[in-house]
Amino acid sequence: MNLDKAVKGVLDAEAELAKRLVAVGERHAAEHDVYYLGHTLARQAADHVTRLTPFAERYQVGAAPRGVGEPPGILETVRHKGSQLIGRSEISGVLLLRDLRETYLLAQQAEIAWVILQQAALAVRDSDLLDVVTACHEQTETCAKWLRTRIKETAPQVLAAG
Amino acid sequence: MADRVADIWGERTPFGAGEQWPTRVDQYLVDGVAEADVEWVQSACVLCSNGCGMDIAVHDGRMVGVRGRAADRVNHGRLGPKGLYGWQAGNSPDRLTEPLVRRDGRLAPASWDEAMSLVAERSREVLAEQGPLAMGFYNTGQLFLEDYYTLAVLVRAGVGTPHLDANTRMCTATADFALKETFGSDGDPGSMTDIDDCDTIFTIGHNIAETQTVLWTRILDRLHGPDRPRLVVVDPRRTKVAREADVHLPIRGGTNLALLNGLQHELIANGWVDREFVDRHTVGFDALAETVAEYPPERVAEICGVPAADIRAAARVIGTSRRLVSTCLQGVYQSHQATASACQVNNINLLRAMIGRPGCAVFQMNGQPTAQNTRETGANGDLAGMRNWQNPEHVAELARLWNVDPLRIPSWAPPTHVMQMLRYAEEGSIRFLWIVGTNPAVSLPELGRIRSILAQDRLFVVVSDAFRTETTELADVVLPAAMWGEKTGTYTNHDRTVHLSERAVDPPGAARPDMEIFLDYARRLELIDQDGAPLIKWHTPEECFEAFKQMTRGRPCDYSGLSYDRLRGGGGVQWPCTEDAPDGTERLYADHEFNTETGYCEDYGHDLLTGAAHERKDHAAMAPAGRAVLKTAHYLPPHEPPCEEYPFLYTTGRTVHHWHTRTKTGRAPELAAAAPRMWVELSPADAERLDIVEGDLVRVESPRGRIEAPARIRGGRDGVVFAPFHYGYWDLPDDAAESNGGPRHVRAANELTITDWDPVSKQPLVKTAAVSVTKVAARDAASAGGRVREEPGGGAR
Repeated sequence: MNLDKAVKGVLDAEAELAKRLVAVGERHAAEHDVYYLGHTLARQAADHVTRLTPFAERYQVGAAPRGVGEPPGILETVRHKGSQLIGRSEISGVLLLRDLRETYLLAQQAEIAWVILQQAALAVRDSDLLDVVTACHEQTETCAKWLRTRIKETAPQVLAAG
Repeated sequence: MADRVADIWGERTPFGAGEQWPTRVDQYLVDGVAEADVEWVQSACVLCSNGCGMDIAVHDGRMVGVRGRAADRVNHGRLGPKGLYGWQAGNSPDRLTEPLVRRDGRLAPASWDEAMSLVAERSREVLAEQGPLAMGFYNTGQLFLEDYYTLAVLVRAGVGTPHLDANTRMCTATADFALKETFGSDGDPGSMTDIDDCDTIFTIGHNIAETQTVLWTRILDRLHGPDRPRLVVVDPRRTKVAREADVHLPIRGGTNLALLNGLQHELIANGWVDREFVDRHTVGFDALAETVAEYPPERVAEICGVPAADIRAAARVIGTSRRLVSTCLQGVYQSHQATASACQVNNINLLRAMIGRPGCAVFQMNGQPTAQNTRETGANGDLAGMRNWQNPEHVAELARLWNVDPLRIPSWAPPTHVMQMLRYAEEGSIRFLWIVGTNPAVSLPELGRIRSILAQDRLFVVVSDAFRTETTELADVVLPAAMWGEKTGTYTNHDRTVHLSERAVDPPGAARPDMEIFLDYARRLELIDQDGAPLIKWHTPEECFEAFKQMTRGRPCDYSGLSYDRLRGGGGVQWPCTEDAPDGTERLYADHEFNTETGYCEDYGHDLLTGAAHERKDHAAMAPAGRAVLKTAHYLPPHEPPCEEYPFLYTTGRTVHHWHTRTKTGRAPELAAAAPRMWVELSPADAERLDIVEGDLVRVESPRGRIEAPARIRGGRDGVVFAPFHYGYWDLPDDAAESNGGPRHVRAANELTITDWDPVSKQPLVKTAAVSVTKVAARDAASAGGRVREEPGGGAR
């Protein structure tokens, strides 16, 4: 049985997503919604990792991702300061669009990782796991949808008003 | 007549359930004018969302007083203190009477032609250089329907930018969005007469006694009459409303959603749910039940800081009601998780099947008197006629009505909210901003930031207003606007009652009605339709109203059965008003068919936590098809909780005698004298701990700024500081306004507020920030410059 690979797939993707959401929130702290929701959704992604941890043991996944959901470190503080500097510059929009796009792709990676895990959980009839998968998968889909909404709003301004 | 500054609600006229609210005509004429000498001109009050019917007294070409209209369905003759006295601002000697243009750094008088040529020229330059997305327009909740509709067509179909919003974003955006989320479209379902018929009132974050004094008079007359309705009040402060309550829950700021989830937990756990109604007329019950199952009273008590027994008691009153009216306002809309919380208020009435019949209503209350019209005309974050920007058929319909290519109308994303517009101005992609009849330099959060954005050289700022304000001082061009009473038009209150207001007097000097200013601008920009004819076809308010009517035909806010003649005399008509319903419609959803059909609805809805927008396919999959949507969300802690450095929770609000930034009420002698100066409010325990007594000068500081004001000690929650948001800088003596040659910005409450907004309605959150409090000087020293006066209303939220 290779279920560990599916669990690890989600753990890695959600951990990566959490880190990126924090980084993007700090880098674009002058975009107040991106800052606050970035942090809220990063905590949610970190919570997903926590909720999967018992299953990492059950299916003997190796080392789980570390450092997820910790308060912003020195790197984030530097990014936050940087945001204040570039916040008044016309390139801030271009950087924002790029970062949102990359974060959206990470959210999509996490989303499909949940789909894969869900299929595996169904096949092995693990109802505990299915409960977690169902709840978390929907939240990750919503995270991607928020990024999609934000990108649709931002793109015209960045690309057509310059 | 009694001094209605002190006697705010006037004499009681008690009445019982189902009876007619007695008539009481309130009138005020200036000294020396006899009633026989005045001509009465029909109008309605523009100083809160109740929109009371009133007549304006005219003598010798000047306004000399007002009286309530006895036959009006909204107020039965009554007026509040702002209505009785506020009109005097129009006669104020410091009205703007000529355009001003900035020359060598100073605003100097100019002709209309000079000023408008400059505005048009700058617009054309920006449009040529960067296109329509570099143009922004920010208006108000104070204009008339005809002004708004002209502006909406001009901006959406003419200039072609999505950047058009109103200060209603600060005030009722959450009402608008909560109604769309639950019922499929905007429009408050109920009627003021539901107050007459109800047996229970549930109100959260809504200090009715101070924000809508005449509505509160109606409620008081029920509370003091036979079969008194029961009253549940949620408010951190012990307001006049709270003092009348059967159950008062003074919850911690920022925890509305937890409390509302807790109340629904109790409704479901005790079987106080009309399952047949819920099954037949709603979707989403299972998800809602799953969420609120996690909010038993004990957990909620811990989050909200009120006893579990009181939560149970409140739920019992609501759960055993037979005719329930629920209301909410800024305590919900301007607080954390605003739309999510407002939707739960809708849910409570739906779970109890308390909608669409006499005495059963939910009011997502408005603040401003004409806010409803910004929403109907699309001069804010909506598309005209409550159309759905994501629905191509709706956009095509508008394009046909306006005779433009559908691609002309920006519909790739929702209309841009003001905080985002300011962000675009901050980063430099918006270069032209026209501010109409509002004062963001006092009313928006984090004023230091707002001033620095508006003061940028690269941003061209036009301001139209009736007075110089803190915002006009940052403008490149200032245009003098006519006020209420000086122009004709219509507006709609919070129970969909439409009133006509006739021109009573001429505007002072060269001031012009806003609609005329917009028409002039459209002509100068040569805005045309797809056949080369002028885009905007009307010249008078009545012609505009007729065009607007046609645009609303078949939509929820259907005005097609109305006309100026129909509105003359009488007492207001509620939309929808059509050939089939020529007398208007008292209640929406009397048949429990909601506006949620996918092809008809105004919005496909959002995720309440993130604001992620649902798209057509999501809505079609949910298939509410005429059923109301029970939306749900989990409580999250506010973004800026008190901490060691800033240990107090800061909340801002209103007081009964003032309106917004006091541009009008600060110029009405009675109102100005009743609440002349800024204050901050502390709880007795906090004051004692900090060695502060009534009248001491205190400094309140947040990470964004500081203010200094005399303290008032009131019985609010410990750990909470309240400040009224009305006070800015225009009326400060020069020595108080400046120090060392520079301006001192230490009075306006919004110096301290946080830049953060609700993810769905995008309403700025000005009720949850962290601050510190220190004593600066003792009372005697603090009040040397002026008496600290007791005010009858205390403060409002």
